[in-house]
Amino acid sequence: MDLNHHRVEQLLSAYVDGELTQAEARAVEEHLLDCGACRRAYEDLRATKALLGALPVAEPPAGWWSSLRAPLVPSRSRAGRGGRWLPLRGWRPAWALGALLLILALAAAPLVKGTMDRLHATEIGVDLYVREHALQMSAEPLVDRAYLGLVAGDADLVLVGESPRAGERRP
Amino acid sequence: MGRPAAVVPVARPDAVHAASYTPEELARYEAIVQRYARHVYNIAYRMTGNEADARDLSQEAFLRVYRALRRVEPGAPLESWLYRIVSNLYIDLLRKRPRTRMESLDAVLKTPRGELVREIPDVAADPDLILEREQIDTAIQRALGVLNPELRMVVVLCDIEGFSYEEIATMLRIPLGTVKSRLHRARQVLQELLRPYVEARRRGWE
Repeated sequence: MDLNHHRVEQLLSAYVDGELTQAEARAVEEHLLDCGACRRAYEDLRATKALLGALPVAEPPAGWWSSLRAPLVPSRSRAGRGGRWLPLRGWRPAWALGALLLILALAAAPLVKGTMDRLHATEIGVDLYVREHALQMSAEPLVDRAYLGLVAGDADLVLVGESPRAGERRP
Repeated sequence: MGRPAAVVPVARPDAVHAASYTPEELARYEAIVQRYARHVYNIAYRMTGNEADARDLSQEAFLRVYRALRRVEPGAPLESWLYRIVSNLYIDLLRKRPRTRMESLDAVLKTPRGELVREIPDVAADPDLILEREQIDTAIQRALGVLNPELRMVVVLCDIEGFSYEEIATMLRIPLGTVKSRLHRARQVLQELLRPYVEARRRGWE
C-alpha cells in the first residue's frame, strides 16, 4: 500500500492507537522512515497520548461512596418517615378542617376590611376620606405627588371646625 | 455493535420501587458500584473538570442504574451503557448551564484551516515547574476543558480510560469514522495547548 504524506497525517492518530489494519500500519511505517515531518508528528501524538494516559485516576471526595449507596438508604428512611407520620394519620380530618378555616379566614379578611373602610368613609364624609388616603399615599416613594395634590384639592374639603372658604356657602 | 445488550428495555419504566428489591438484587447493585464507580467518577471528573459536578453526575448515573436494576442482565458488561449515561448526563448539564465557567474557556474558533484555540498562558509558565506532576495534571485538565465536549468525551474514553474505537463508537452511538476524526482533532488541539509538556516528554524519550 502506498500512501501520500497527507493521508499518512490523517492516519497517524489511529496508528498511535493501534487501530489501523495491518496493511495500513505497514504503509504508515514505511512512510515514517522517509518523512521527518511525519515522524515528528507521530512522536508528538504519542507524547500527547502518553500525557493523558499518565493522568492519575481522580479521587472521589469524602462521602461519595456512601452517597452511591444512598438509594438503598432512602428506601429505608422513607419507610421510617411513614412511621413517623403514622400517629398523625387519625388527625387528618382535623388538619383538613383547620386548613379550610384558615383559607376562609384569609379570603374573608379583605371583604371585611373593605366593608369597614366603606363604613368609615360614609362616617367621615367622602372628601375627608379621599384626603386622608391621599395624605397616606404621599408618603409612598413612587407616587405621583402632583396628581395626588390634584385629587386632594378636588375633594374640596371642609374639615370640622374649618371656616368656610371664599366663594363657598355653608349649607 | 459487538456487545450483547446489557439492558433489556421493558415497558414499565418506574415499576421497580426501592423497597421491593431482594437482597440478591441489592448485592448486584453493590457489585456494580464496586466495579464501575471509580471509572464513572473519573470520566465525570475529566469531563466536568470539577469535583462538585463530577460527584453529582456520577451519583445521578448510579441512581439510574439503581432504578433500572431489574432490567440489567446479571453479569452483563455495563461499560457501554453506563458511560453513555455519563455522557448524556454531561450533555444535559451543559444544556442547563450553557455558560459554565469551563465552557467560557471553550475558545475553539472554527476557521477554514481548522480549529484554533486561545493560548493558555500559564501552561508554559516556569520551565522549572514543568515536571511537577500536579501542574501537568492541572494543565491537562484545563486543556481538556478547552476542547469541545464531543471531542473531550472521545479523548477521555480513548486516552484516559483506554477504550478501543469500536467500544467508543458503541458507547456514544456514533460511527467509527467519527470516533477517528474526533480523536484526531482533539489531539491536535491538545498538542498545541500542551506544547511544552509534549516537547518535554518527547525529549525524555530521545
